Amino acid sequence: MALFAVLQTTFLLTLLPLRTYQSEVLSEPLPLTPESLKVSINSTKQCLHLQWTVHNLDYHQELKMVFQIQISRFKASNVIWMGNYSTTVKRNQVLHWSWESELPLECAIHFVRMRTMVDDARIPAPRFWSNWSSWEKADAQNSLGDHPLYVFPKDKLVEEGSDVTICYISRNHQDNISCYLEDELTYGKQLDQNVWAFELKNVSFHRKTGTNFYCKGQGVPEGVVLFVSKVLEEPKDFSCETRDLKTVTCTWDPGSDTGLIQLPSYTLFESFSGKKTLCKHRNRCDWQVTQDSQEVYNFTLVAENYFRKRSVSILFNLIHGVHPLAPYNLFPKSVSATNATMSWKVSSIGHNSALLCQLQLLGEGKVIQQHNISVRVNGEYLLSELKPDTEYVARVHCAYADHFWKWSELISQNFTTAEAAPSEAPDVWRDVTFVSGHPTVTLFWKPLSKVHTNGKILFYNVVVENLDEPSSLEVLSVPAPANSTKVTLNQSSYQIYVMAHNSVGPSPASAVAISGHPENENVEEGRVNGTEDGFHMSWKPQSRNATGYVVEWCDDPQNLPCVLQWKNLGPTNTGTIISSDAFRPGVRYDFRIYEISAKGMAHLLEKKAGYLKELAPSYNPEVATINLTSHSFTLSWKDYSTESQTGFIQGYYVYLKSKTGEKCHREFEKTVLPDNSVGCKYTIDNPDQKTFVVKDLQPESVYEFFVTPYTSAGEGPLDDFTKVTTPDDYSHILTHITLPMIFCVLVVMITCYLKSQWLKDKCYPDIPDPYKSSVLSLIKFKENPHITIMNVNDCVPDAIEVVNKPEGSKIQFIGTRKSPTETKGTKPVYLDLLPTEKNYSGPGPCICFENFTYNQAASDLGYCGHFPVTPQAPHCQLGPLTSPENLLKTLEQNYMNSLGEIPAGEANLNYVSQLASPMSGDKESPPANPPEPALCSEYKMQMAIPLGLASPAPSKNSSLSSTALLDPSEHCH
Amino acid sequence: MDLRAGDSWGMLACLCTVLWQLPAVPALNRTGDPGPGPSIQKTYDLTRYLEHQLRSLAGTYLNYLGPPFNEPDFNPPRLGVETLPKATVNLEVWRSLNDKLRLTQNYEAYSHLLCYLRGLNRQAATAELRRSLAHFCTSLQGLLGSIAGVMAALGYPLPQPLPGTEPTWAPGPAHSDFLQKMDDFWLLKELQTWLWRSAKDFNRLKKKMQPPATAVTLHLEARGF
Repeated sequence: MALFAVLQTTFLLTLLPLRTYQSEVLSEPLPLTPESLKVSINSTKQCLHLQWTVHNLDYHQELKMVFQIQISRFKASNVIWMGNYSTTVKRNQVLHWSWESELPLECAIHFVRMRTMVDDARIPAPRFWSNWSSWEKADAQNSLGDHPLYVFPKDKLVEEGSDVTICYISRNHQDNISCYLEDELTYGKQLDQNVWAFELKNVSFHRKTGTNFYCKGQGVPEGVVLFVSKVLEEPKDFSCETRDLKTVTCTWDPGSDTGLIQLPSYTLFESFSGKKTLCKHRNRCDWQVTQDSQEVYNFTLVAENYFRKRSVSILFNLIHGVHPLAPYNLFPKSVSATNATMSWKVSSIGHNSALLCQLQLLGEGKVIQQHNISVRVNGEYLLSELKPDTEYVARVHCAYADHFWKWSELISQNFTTAEAAPSEAPDVWRDVTFVSGHPTVTLFWKPLSKVHTNGKILFYNVVVENLDEPSSLEVLSVPAPANSTKVTLNQSSYQIYVMAHNSVGPSPASAVAISGHPENENVEEGRVNGTEDGFHMSWKPQSRNATGYVVEWCDDPQNLPCVLQWKNLGPTNTGTIISSDAFRPGVRYDFRIYEISAKGMAHLLEKKAGYLKELAPSYNPEVATINLTSHSFTLSWKDYSTESQTGFIQGYYVYLKSKTGEKCHREFEKTVLPDNSVGCKYTIDNPDQKTFVVKDLQPESVYEFFVTPYTSAGEGPLDDFTKVTTPDDYSHILTHITLPMIFCVLVVMITCYLKSQWLKDKCYPDIPDPYKSSVLSLIKFKENPHITIMNVNDCVPDAIEVVNKPEGSKIQFIGTRKSPTETKGTKPVYLDLLPTEKNYSGPGPCICFENFTYNQAASDLGYCGHFPVTPQAPHCQLGPLTSPENLLKTLEQNYMNSLGEIPAGEANLNYVSQLASPMSGDKESPPANPPEPALCSEYKMQMAIPLGLASPAPSKNSSLSSTALLDPSEHCH
Repeated sequence: MDLRAGDSWGMLACLCTVLWQLPAVPALNRTGDPGPGPSIQKTYDLTRYLEHQLRSLAGTYLNYLGPPFNEPDFNPPRLGVETLPKATVNLEVWRSLNDKLRLTQNYEAYSHLLCYLRGLNRQAATAELRRSLAHFCTSLQGLLGSIAGVMAALGYPLPQPLPGTEPTWAPGPAHSDFLQKMDDFWLLKELQTWLWRSAKDFNRLKKKMQPPATAVTLHLEARGF
């Protein structure tokens, strides 16, 4: 058998050249067919893998051949793909070829066959295809289990934006299966009875755990996870460096994440050495430098994932890419007030190379010194010109000295220099007040700036030197941070020194001279305008020997105590700008400018007041209304201070409104008020005038007024108007006439009351004295020489009429009334002093004092007039009694009234005024009613009345006379 | 009150640590101690707290898995997850369980679930989710310790450690990623069911272990003096 095979082979080998020769000669094709075709499935890659051989080749022959491949799905006749594969074939070579299926291979049976054709130039045309091989079947469904539903491909990796075909195989034909991509229902097409396919276009990334595609029927849902990868980006910013000439570190920016749990791989190739290393990080890779002194490297970084491979290259010179490690152990070796020695170490670099280190000194965040130092292992540098008690930051970084490429990282160290004595005297100013003639000096000083303190100020020493007593020195120690102290002095000249102390020592002294006597404060105050920069102050020097000037003010004058501020200026200055952050608009600032003499004494030069910006007044004065008359009133606001306002008060506006809306008064102008009402306005342009008389007003009218100050910035706020009502015209009469009259009457009444006894004595004494009677003067006035005063002694009473209280006397009186003619000539009947039954003829007893007023004629005739009077005596009549006429009149009236008022029978004992009788003596004043006869007779006035007056002629019956009236029959019977 | 997740986890971890140490505290093992009642109460409380925490964690994790696992009505038939201890049990069987068996089942279930949960942790991608899972694992470890404490207090031996190693996440054709997600879904669901059942278990135990009212009164009086 073996022998047969050998013979056959030999035969064939001898035959092949012959056949070749024949083909060359006869141009006939060689029947080479693929053999041993095997088809396998790679589920992961969804590939059909073909493997075959070509026999009938010479041992040493290589022929270029074309293989035509056909792939069918579900059945052999359903060819879905056909293509050629060209390769060079050797004898007995196993050939491989793969075909990637879009449709998951598990979802369909695939059939593959192929044929071949020699495509070698050495073989002349024509060429012929061999016969097709037999169909080879690839069936993945055999490996599936007995689940009712399968979805493929399992866990497929796809790149974002690509298309994917998914299929499912359902074993249950009755089941209604729906499929979803994530939560979106997806529709597919049926490929076979049990197979459906879904073409997903342009798939997108959802999450790292993949995009879910699942199908569900009645049973357990089945699905696949598509792991969608973002497109792998090319590494950017690829660069390499070495820290120590032993390791090269290459870094790059990998770009955005692909979004898969499986990260792309990064590999570093070096082409000169042909070495490569797999990077452990996605943005950095270390390359170990070998000892073969290779200086130049050609690095290629390859980034690769399932879908793509990206690469980037760089040519790297080891010496040119040294990035030293950061120095370490930086510290201040020694620190004084002005110097510091810094020390640090560096990591050594191969070949004992030197590093260039840069030492930087930072103060307040800024680089103030920079020094370059060459260092091999230890660095050290002396920093000088430092400020005492100042915090500095020293920092250092290093670079490769042979070829600078990059500084190392910085390391830094803080340190503070030592303290030194303060370098400058404190700025001192004083405020002198005199208490009981003794100067009390408040010293103020400003804290030294940090530049000059050179350490923490612990206290201030204040040395008070009495210049008049050189031996006396007083030292005060004021602990920091106080900035003022108070010293009480005598009336001597003093020199006061102030020094600031820190832990090292004192500062230079600042001197202030105090005279001990009050300064001249009588300096006229000027004004200064504020600007955005502050107050532009200027002054006129008084002395040529001035050593400087000081401007003082209060930053916040509205709040006491004043925080004194000052500014020192040199002797050549005649002006300055005073500015402060504390200055506010609408606040009055008072500035005092002092001139400093050669002896250090301060003399007040000028006063100035100003506003940074004047504002309109913030409030209005409280206005009082005085001197209100019917035609004017006065407004007064004297309590309004013009100095504490928000601007210089330039004057006042007086607004006046009347209810009648009439036109404005003189000097007023019509204006529209801020509340759009119309009023009258008067402008007072003198800020010191704080009263205003509103004139020419109407009586009994309502006026409204309102006073507001104004500054250069405007007037004060609009407040409520105050109403004033003018009184009427008669009110002044009331006040000027009526009230004094009432007052006078009251005075008279009071006087009368107080002097009633005197008046009584004067006018109607109990026992009238004819000599004292005012009637006498009246009589005298008549100049009747016959009238005399009867002496009491001349008339001896002969009877006393006793008037008894009669019952129903009035009736009796009326009934017994007789005409005057009947009584005429009848002689009055008088009771004896001792009454008898005989004499008693009346209804009651009646006592009658005899009339003491006598008509001389009657008296001569022995006639004693009897005149009945009322029981009541008249009261004192004050006013009218001053004249005799009034007196008589009043008496008459009283009498008449008494007649009608007094009831009969009430009087028992009656007193009759002596004045009652002569009343009828005045012919021109007859009584209106004839006197009624009285029940009782009274005591009559003892007055001598001329007969003619007392007894008028009978024809004149209208006149009354005592004789005519007295009817004895009506009285005492 | 606004409690951040980190704070809650920290508090929970602290609580779990304390509970884990409970059996080791000698004072609790002394004669005349209040018995397993307080431990059961604490275990019950911890169970309820974990139940609450799992709701938040499961929401995040299922969103991380994507649809359909995060859909509220997703409730597939349970197949292929037989390795997970089942919490559901016939009611009569559950009632007839004695204390030892009840506690043992709980202990074993959480031992298993904790192993699977740690498997979840390894494949989770986001750092925040990893942290949340780690915290929950610590809490679950605390619950396991608490159950062990109750069992020790009642004198029951702990079940033997699980044979074999912890489950590991190994993607491959044998177990597709979709099925793996399904397993994760079932793990969280089963964990939720177990926590619910444990609350019932410990509530039942609590009531059973509760001393009579008179005893409580006397006990309180004694403590008062």
